Amino acid sequence: MKLNRRLFMSSAAMAIATPAILRAQASPSAAATLRAVMHADLRSFDPFWTTAYITSYHGSMVYDTLFGTDEAGNVKPQMVDTFSVSDDQLAYRFKLRDGLLFSDGAPVRAADCVASLKRFCARDVVGQLLWPRVKTLRALDDQSFELVLSDFFGLTLETLAKTSSCAFIMREQDAMVDPNEQITEIVGSGPFVFNRDETQMGARYVYDKSPTYVPRSGPASGTTGGKQVYLDRVIWENIGDPQTAMSALIAGEIDYFENPPLDFVGDLAANRDVNLLVSNEVGTCGCYRLNHLHPPFDDVRARQAMLYLVKQAEVMAGAFGLSEYTEETPSLFGNNNPMSNRENIGWFEHGQDFDKAAELFEDAGYDGRPVIILQPTDIPVIGVAAQFAAQWLRKAGVNAELAVSDWGAIVSRRAVKKPPEEGGWNIFPTYTATIGSPILYPGHAAGGDSAWFGWPDNPKQEALRMDWTLAKTQEERQEIARKMQANAWDFVPQVNYGQWQQPAALRSDVSGLLKVPDLVPFWNLRKA
Amino acid sequence: MSYVSTQSPPARPVMTARATRFVRRNPTLVFGATVLSLFIVLALVSPLLVGDVSSLNPLQRLKPMSGEHPLGTDAQGRDLLGRTVYGARVSLAVGCAVAILAITIGVILGLAAGYIPWLETPVMTLMDALMSIPAVLLAISLVSLTSASVGTVIVAITIPEIPRVVRLVRSVVLSVRRQPYVEAAVAGGARTLKILWRHILPATVPPLIVQATYVAASAILIESALSFVGAGTPPDIPSWGNMISESRLYLSRAPMTVFAPGLALALTVLAINLIGDGLRDRLDPRLARRM
Amino acid sequence: MKFLLRKTLSMGAVLLIVAFMVFVMIRFSPGDPAAILAGDNATEQQIAAIREAMRLDDPLALQFGHWTSQVVSGDLGTSIFSGEPVLDMILQRIEPTISLTLLTMGFAIVVAVVLGVFAAARAGRTTDRLVMVFSVIGFSVPGFVTAYLLIYVLSVRLGWFPVQGYTPLAEGIGPWLHALVLPGLVLSLTYIALIARITRATMLEVLSEDYIRTARAKGVSPNAVLYGHALRNAGVPIVTIVGLGFSMLIGGVVITETVFNIPGIGRLVIDAITKRDYPIIQGITLLLSAVYVMVNLLVDLSYGLIDPRTRKS
Repeated sequence: MKLNRRLFMSSAAMAIATPAILRAQASPSAAATLRAVMHADLRSFDPFWTTAYITSYHGSMVYDTLFGTDEAGNVKPQMVDTFSVSDDQLAYRFKLRDGLLFSDGAPVRAADCVASLKRFCARDVVGQLLWPRVKTLRALDDQSFELVLSDFFGLTLETLAKTSSCAFIMREQDAMVDPNEQITEIVGSGPFVFNRDETQMGARYVYDKSPTYVPRSGPASGTTGGKQVYLDRVIWENIGDPQTAMSALIAGEIDYFENPPLDFVGDLAANRDVNLLVSNEVGTCGCYRLNHLHPPFDDVRARQAMLYLVKQAEVMAGAFGLSEYTEETPSLFGNNNPMSNRENIGWFEHGQDFDKAAELFEDAGYDGRPVIILQPTDIPVIGVAAQFAAQWLRKAGVNAELAVSDWGAIVSRRAVKKPPEEGGWNIFPTYTATIGSPILYPGHAAGGDSAWFGWPDNPKQEALRMDWTLAKTQEERQEIARKMQANAWDFVPQVNYGQWQQPAALRSDVSGLLKVPDLVPFWNLRKA
Repeated sequence: MSYVSTQSPPARPVMTARATRFVRRNPTLVFGATVLSLFIVLALVSPLLVGDVSSLNPLQRLKPMSGEHPLGTDAQGRDLLGRTVYGARVSLAVGCAVAILAITIGVILGLAAGYIPWLETPVMTLMDALMSIPAVLLAISLVSLTSASVGTVIVAITIPEIPRVVRLVRSVVLSVRRQPYVEAAVAGGARTLKILWRHILPATVPPLIVQATYVAASAILIESALSFVGAGTPPDIPSWGNMISESRLYLSRAPMTVFAPGLALALTVLAINLIGDGLRDRLDPRLARRM
Repeated sequence: MKFLLRKTLSMGAVLLIVAFMVFVMIRFSPGDPAAILAGDNATEQQIAAIREAMRLDDPLALQFGHWTSQVVSGDLGTSIFSGEPVLDMILQRIEPTISLTLLTMGFAIVVAVVLGVFAAARAGRTTDRLVMVFSVIGFSVPGFVTAYLLIYVLSVRLGWFPVQGYTPLAEGIGPWLHALVLPGLVLSLTYIALIARITRATMLEVLSEDYIRTARAKGVSPNAVLYGHALRNAGVPIVTIVGLGFSMLIGGVVITETVFNIPGIGRLVIDAITKRDYPIIQGITLLLSAVYVMVNLLVDLSYGLIDPRTRKS
């Protein structure tokens, strides 16, 4: 239902005409409505078209997935009832659960799944690795479909179960929309229904409990199990100002605040009515992307110099205060990840050394040209990281320059491959929540021109990365990860500036928040 | 006005009496001028007084007042007193630059619009268009859409201030044009530029001085609004605006981080406004109608 | 009538200039809505595909021509990000802004005129100076600082008012007003200062004029003198400032809506600037200019009502 002016006018007129009492009965009571402030504004509703996390969160509200990942990291079927895998792990057959319905009343068919997976693979970074290996993907009947691969792919079910940029199942007609355009209708088979009428873009997003959702039996864990909904309505309020959001949480005007500033979580925790909860124990890892295309960082020695300049503790303290939620990480894959390791971390153990860095810059033939560091005004942690980078570089005798703008301008500039003096850049600080995965974090790619911003070029690294996707066991993957890191800290694709966990703050009468690393589940939540 | 007798009485008592009378008649003007002078002096002297205001020093963050840091430190461990004093430079420089720029451009356009008939409509329509866009919005757009630097901020704040100056100058030009001595000069064949320079421009000076003060005050406030939205001066150059903006999260925990720059800013803007009012009352109370 | 015609033409010209300025300004800016929309993990090819699908690479003149013809027919275009018509988005979010603006203006005008008259009546004395200094203080403190202070004291500590948010009128006048008190207060401070100063200055001037002294001599009571004759004559500059200050008010609205999380068009346009959502930026700026022009037209027309001497025809 696209909102049009006439519809709005008539509903507005009706809203004003209806007495307040009657309207209160029509909308859910306050007790069963949860108000949440999320980390970003929901700008796009198509989870296949954009990689923005918030859109994936939205997807998890209104859509469901074939498989899910539980709290221990195991893949379990969700929409799928039974499935079989051939011995050579090339052929899969899936049968859907009974009674699955879309919110418009239509049953979920295998054809919908097939079309959705096709659209998913067209844009998703892991899906694009899977798709070339797909020989057949077709519906067998209304409830079953098969997937046959031509080559082994070690992460097939994991791809269907992943919790970021998930493989959501849409209606066939939505899935047939060109992957380079956005879907216009939001109809899914998930635990919530998107209430477009009450939503105001940029201000609030309203989700109602789905009357047609059929949860699996069993307890909920991660994105698996029975996604029971105990709330009538969830509203995402777009409060951009963290001070206002904190005050609102304390005053009880909102119930859940995803990203309270780390500096203040102590104060919030001390408040009787507020609890803290860390959903993503791995957390976020900050990294400096170095531009391999232009001097000075086209020379590996200059990049190595950066390893001796970065003092992660300083950046973390500057951005978050001396917080128990921050830590230093020597690993390419961050800490607390299955792939974390301690290969080739001599530089980390050596610590910050301005003289050594200056020496390395000299060896690299640094000629005194300005080194341009992108600094956003509207993302505090990245702004602090940029300022520190400039400070350290200057101490090592490098002419560092900060290019200040808002994030929107940075998003454009980071894609510029031209020399820094012509609108490019040398250092682009950013952060990611998926650093533990060689394929989920695009920054691990080292294919040169086709890689992520910074364009590191190292064929050995790329080969290792591909091997990782073909590994058959977790031990194999960890072994490859160790090799990747050993190689990485030699050629230095990027340098990390710290790792932090972000506890969410919720009112103490809210319970049942499940721990899912890359999204915030609103099922299973109760408000006392 | 006392007269000086031929016997040359001691100069001092006479001056003090005049000074006292002046202060009593114009308390707000004197107050404003004193406060502003204090800040100007601080701004000029600050590079000598103040140490490092930019380096991030997280271990020293949010320290309370102490001997080493008389006002404490901010969230990045930087000395608050030093930054506040340094901020005077930036904020006053922005205010000054905007005022001078706006007045200069405004005078040129206003003279043109008021004196050259065929220019009046296009210039005034353009000014109307500029005035119709809210200043803060225009400034935010200009900064966001180019780059964040002190220069851009100055230009972004100047542009919305120009129309008011133009209107003022134009109305002065219109009224002075009709004066007999100007008409006589025109009849006498004097060149346009000369007439503008000798007769018309001097008449614009008193209201322009007053207007300049208001523009400066307004500029400093708009700069703080820009910083609040993230489109102000770059963070490593402390201006009161971005100091307040960066520290607003710490209002309850370390109020001095917000109050020091906030108070300084409010006092300076207040001082400038009071000077403007005082000057206006002295030069021509009639000007109040047009402000 | 000729007056009206001339005014309409100049209004049209103003709007066209505004449209052109805004269009040029944002089109030549860095920042790519397609890249922002695509998210952080997108590749270049993905972004390029989006740009093409959105026709963001058409020649500028074509884009401008297309947009102006749309506007004239009442269509303000479609948001790049949400795909919704800009006009609909504006209508959805306009109630909070109108509520806040009108409430603030009403409150400010009443308070300011009273203050200004009060100060003028006691001109030169301490009360006058105090009133004026206080109003100038209101003019000198940045709005967001006052806002945070008030929120901290009155909402968080005392709990008298909500911290943030907006309650639609449809949910009752009481709650609607309650949520608007703090934002309105913050916003009105600057406006009050501005209007109070003008009121005082013009009242002073008028009060010294001959006909006022005549009225006093005739024995008309002091209050009647003040409010009856003098205020009427001071009306013109006061109304002028109301019109000119409207622009400043909108600037304040933008900040206030951000701090208090009011879902009005001030916040809508700030978000649009950050996201480079061109149609929204263009649409709202044009709308605000049109309103400003309207307000000043009303002001011009009201001159005839307030002060017969200014009627030309």
